Amino acid sequence: MSEIIFKPCSLKEMWEEMPNLPESRKYMAGGTDIVTVENAGFPSSECWIDISDIPELATVKEEKDHVFIGAGVKLNDLETYPFIKKYCPALLAAVHDFASPSLRNMATLGGNAGNASPCADGVCALVSLEAAIVLRKGNAERKMPLRDFFTGPKRTKLEKDELIYGFEIPKKENLLGQYFKLGPRAFFGISKVAVALSAAMEGNKVKYASVAIASVAPVPLYAAKTSEYLTGKELTEDTILKAADIARGEVSPITDARSEADYRRDMSGILLERALRSFLN
Amino acid sequence: MKNEEIIHADEDGFFTIALNVNGELGHMIVSRNETLVEALRHYGWKGTKKGCDTGDCGSCTVLFNNKPVLGCMMPAVAAHGGNITTIEGLGTVRNPHPIQQAFVEAGAVQCGFCIPGMILSTKALLDKNPEPSEADIRKALDGNLCRCTGYVTQVQAVRIAAKKVKAMKKQQEKLAAKELAAEKRKAARKTAKKAAKKNK
Repeated sequence: MSEIIFKPCSLKEMWEEMPNLPESRKYMAGGTDIVTVENAGFPSSECWIDISDIPELATVKEEKDHVFIGAGVKLNDLETYPFIKKYCPALLAAVHDFASPSLRNMATLGGNAGNASPCADGVCALVSLEAAIVLRKGNAERKMPLRDFFTGPKRTKLEKDELIYGFEIPKKENLLGQYFKLGPRAFFGISKVAVALSAAMEGNKVKYASVAIASVAPVPLYAAKTSEYLTGKELTEDTILKAADIARGEVSPITDARSEADYRRDMSGILLERALRSFLN
Repeated sequence: MKNEEIIHADEDGFFTIALNVNGELGHMIVSRNETLVEALRHYGWKGTKKGCDTGDCGSCTVLFNNKPVLGCMMPAVAAHGGNITTIEGLGTVRNPHPIQQAFVEAGAVQCGFCIPGMILSTKALLDKNPEPSEADIRKALDGNLCRCTGYVTQVQAVRIAAKKVKAMKKQQEKLAAKELAAEKRKAARKTAKKAAKKNK
């Protein structure tokens, strides 16, 4: 059995070559998650398709009603676009908490979603921004809300050969974003729990809020009840505490090597409180 | 645009990749599960250190197309066609790069294991931002762990390095300007001579 590595320069080339490749094939973008898995001794694939050089996947553009971020965009490059700052503040806040500067030069948002870890920082921020994920296979394209894309830890709705093409983030005016994470260190650790909050405010009134919490459920969790409760409320100390309580009820954390369930549950509330207080005038 | 490429493994499962390390274009024969740091060290670039092997410590940092990446997180085959700078590409013991000099002057080196990565992260920072604030410095060195020091001297080292690099660039510009002026004078003299000949 000979292994091959296929490095296409465009998506068109890739789909054309696909039928000639071995059946067991996988995509690779930054490679950072794949290498750690390989080091741990997991079985590998007969053919790797290295998609890191495909320009279509590395585009970031502003459309009429949404912002498109290609699946292959390196995280460090996101900071260079002014419209990302305007429409995806929670994502930009998460980028600073995302691994280290050198890893951010390698890692991509597509890989972050494809790896489907419940603790993914980039994905958690995107879920709070109500992003949609765009999947492609040949000329067929389908879209779904990112929060529905995951079916469990390391499991997604991706079909064989289907490629994560990018993310569409709906434009919302005056959006504020916050990302708070607790890890083993102040920087550069896998989260014990992380909260992403996207909100639009009118004075101290919450016009719109959307909360996502990482590492507290089998998938990056969209806190639907908390988001619903917050929307339309006057932001007072009482509302903040009530919202934190609702968030604690919504999560279903486990105890594992990184942290304990009770701590995670409690901290989901505390981090949400901190995020909300930062929006108080 | 370059064409698509399929790299086939040979009978023993090894791939031949082409890459430019510190300005030397060459080939490397690597296996599928070899990381970039392993391949580099195997081919003699031992300045790049292998620390945790899980992407946590940053001692394997190298510049890939002028951006810092972690050598232990990058499959060697993914580096095919790239430009790599390791610590050996910056300076030598007799002729150190200003950043290396700054680290020595500040006393930022104790056991030294993290330093190649730190220096390359610093280089990437100063290329982008010649006058970094302390916050910028700490952010840029975020992924490089040091277990000997408390990072105080390294932040200092980067400050000194920024000044040195700036001075070096200024001097280079001065030299270039001098050369340009000399060339211009030479050309002017030539035309003047030609004109004088014509007049005769």
